[in-house]
Amino acid sequence: MHIPDAFIPIGQALVYWVIALIFIALALRWARRSMGEEKIPLVAVLAAGIFAIQALNIPIPWGTSGHMVGAALAAIVLGSPFAGIFVLTLVLLVQGIIFGDGGITVMGANIVNMGVVGGFVGYYGYTGIKSVVGNTYAAAFIAGWASLFVSAIICAVELAIAGTVPLIPALTLFGTYHAIIGLIEGGITAVALYLIASARPDILEHPTGVSA
Amino acid sequence: METKQFIIIGIAIALVIAVAAPFLASGDPDGLESAFFSIYGAKPFMGSELDDDAAGAAEEEVIAVTGNDFSYEALMPDYSISGMDKAGEVLAIVIGTLLMLVLVFAIAKVSARPDN
Repeated sequence: MHIPDAFIPIGQALVYWVIALIFIALALRWARRSMGEEKIPLVAVLAAGIFAIQALNIPIPWGTSGHMVGAALAAIVLGSPFAGIFVLTLVLLVQGIIFGDGGITVMGANIVNMGVVGGFVGYYGYTGIKSVVGNTYAAAFIAGWASLFVSAIICAVELAIAGTVPLIPALTLFGTYHAIIGLIEGGITAVALYLIASARPDILEHPTGVSA
Repeated sequence: METKQFIIIGIAIALVIAVAAPFLASGDPDGLESAFFSIYGAKPFMGSELDDDAAGAAEEEVIAVTGNDFSYEALMPDYSISGMDKAGEVLAIVIGTLLMLVLVFAIAKVSARPDN
């Protein structure tokens, strides 16, 4: 879902950069207040794992592929949507600058879509669904799916505003492809959460009750 | 599980994924590209045939629409190293994974809540 430079006019891209920078500042404030020093290695490993798994494009039908984003997982494991923004900002920065994956001028938009939207939908989707259905992993799956799907819908709207694609076809096509790609996001989010919770139940800010 | 052991296993899993990714990853366009190519007539919505000429034309056309012709030559474009084949892709993703580990550790270190 990485937007390349050509897809958004510079002026609009700057607006997304401003929005992204506001959320990056809030993510840094979250880190200063709530990210204890004992979390540092976990944050680094999560970011490295998310980077690696983002390089793994999984085929879906219709000659298309998709990969995990990971904002929902980071937000759930670290207990804040801002953790998703913190990790995804750094992942997108390295992907854009070193690997040319996602544009430079439009990086703000990519941070907004995958980090901010992914983090917030992932985190509040998870806590909300968990309080209703009671099952941690079902909640993680649905929240992971929703985080990717909503990110893609927001991305489609941005590209329609940019004039790159007409709105209705964009929503239809982005929605269809990412409804499938979301299953990858949801599945890996739930499995990774299970593995982390099994190894270290204490790490999760919201204990899942899985014993070590 | 001890923290040290947990972190080492985490790094090992990330590196296994990094090494395997170039062999397992699909080269098909991602959801965004696929939707874009379909809308520009380079690919059927629910088909897999990509018309390379039409895809190239679509990429030209979109620059004319947005006026954003910014271009940037990344060090390892598309997770590859020029002149190297699969080994270059493995190396690129492994380097990226290790870079993330070090970079995020350093940035998390300076931005974390001080414990005392």
